[in-house]
Amino acid sequence: MKIVIMGCGRVGSTVATRLDAEGHDVTIVDLETQAFRRLPDSFGGERFAGSGVDDRVLIAAGIREADAFIALTQGDNRNLFASQLAKHLFRVETVVTRVYDPLRAELFADLGLRTFSPTRISGDLAYDSLFEGR
Amino acid sequence: MYIIIVGAGNVGYGLALELYGNTDYEVLLVERQRQRALLLREELGELAVEGDGTEVTFLERIGARRADLVIAVTGDDAHNLVACQVARHHFGIGRTIARVNNPRNERLFQLLGIEATVSAAAAVLAQIEVDLPEQALIPLVKLRASGLEVVDLHVQEDASAAGVALRDLDLPERTTISLVISGEGANVPDGDTVLRPGDEIIAIIDQQAEPEMRALVSAPLAPGAEPREPTP
Repeated sequence: MKIVIMGCGRVGSTVATRLDAEGHDVTIVDLETQAFRRLPDSFGGERFAGSGVDDRVLIAAGIREADAFIALTQGDNRNLFASQLAKHLFRVETVVTRVYDPLRAELFADLGLRTFSPTRISGDLAYDSLFEGR
Repeated sequence: MYIIIVGAGNVGYGLALELYGNTDYEVLLVERQRQRALLLREELGELAVEGDGTEVTFLERIGARRADLVIAVTGDDAHNLVACQVARHHFGIGRTIARVNNPRNERLFQLLGIEATVSAAAAVLAQIEVDLPEQALIPLVKLRASGLEVVDLHVQEDASAAGVALRDLDLPERTTISLVISGEGANVPDGDTVLRPGDEIIAIIDQQAEPEMRALVSAPLAPGAEPREPTP
C-alpha cells in the first residue's frame, strides 16, 4: 500500500517506521527537515520537506498514487484541511486524521473522515488505569 | 441578525466596524491571539472577544446557535475552512463566508459546500490583469454552477483569430461570443462577423478554456518564448 504521512513527530515517525518495516511504500512529509532525525537509519521510505496543507506539496509527495493518507501534525485544523484535500480533491481511499479536540473529531467523523482524538483516548486510559485491579 | 466574525486582522476588524454602525446587525468579533484581543477589547468593548472560532465549546458560549452568519477571515485557510464547517454542520448556521488566502484552495472550499468565498489574492490578481493593457484575456465573472465564465478578450495584431469570420474559427466547446466592440461600437456578432485587431470581445467560455481562448486572440509567440502561465 502507498501511504503518505503528514507530520514526522513522535507519532508520525513511529507509525511510518512500522509501516515501512511491514513493506509498505511510505512517504513522510514535514515542514522541518530536522524532524526526520526521529526516523531510524533503517527507514527505507521517502522523506519530503514541505507543508501538507499545500496541494502542490501533496502532489509532489505522491498523493495522487496514494492508497492512504494520515494527518499527524500538531494542528487540528491543519490536519482537517489536509485530510479533506486528500479525500475530496485527490480521492485518496483511506484518510486518517488526528484531532486533539474530541468535539471536532466527532463532527468530522460524521462528515466522513476517519478521525481519532488522543485527548479522549488518553482520558479514558487514565481513568481505566486508576480503577485497574480494584 | 447576529453575525460572528472569526479573525480580527485588517479584514475582520474593518468589516466589524463597517457592520457595527448598522443597527440591524449584532456583531461579534472573535480573535485567537490574546494580545490582539485585549487591545480590541479596550477599543471596541464587548464587540470583541478572545477565543478560537473553530472550537465548539467556545462557540456555544458566544451563542453560535442563534447566529445567522459566520464570516471567517483569518490569514489561515485551514482555520477559515474549519470555522465554516463547524458553523454549518454543528450549529446549523445557514450562511458562511470564508476568506480564501491562497486561490489554489478555492476549489476545496467549493467542493465542501462553502460557497461564498472571498479571495483577496484573486481579487488583487484580477485587478492587476485589468490594469495591464496588453492582456489578451481578462476574466470578468466566474459562473460557479456551470463552470463557465465571462471574459473580456482583446484581439491583438497578427492573432490567429484576426481576419477570420466567426463561423470559420475553431472555438473551444461551450464558447459564446456575446459582443464585439470595435471602433463602430458594440455589436452582437453573427457567423459572418470578422474579427479585427483592436476589437474587444465579451464572451462566455468554459473556465478550462482560458489558455485556448487566450492563444486565439494573442499575437503568436516569439520563437523560443515560453507561453504565459495561466492564472491559478
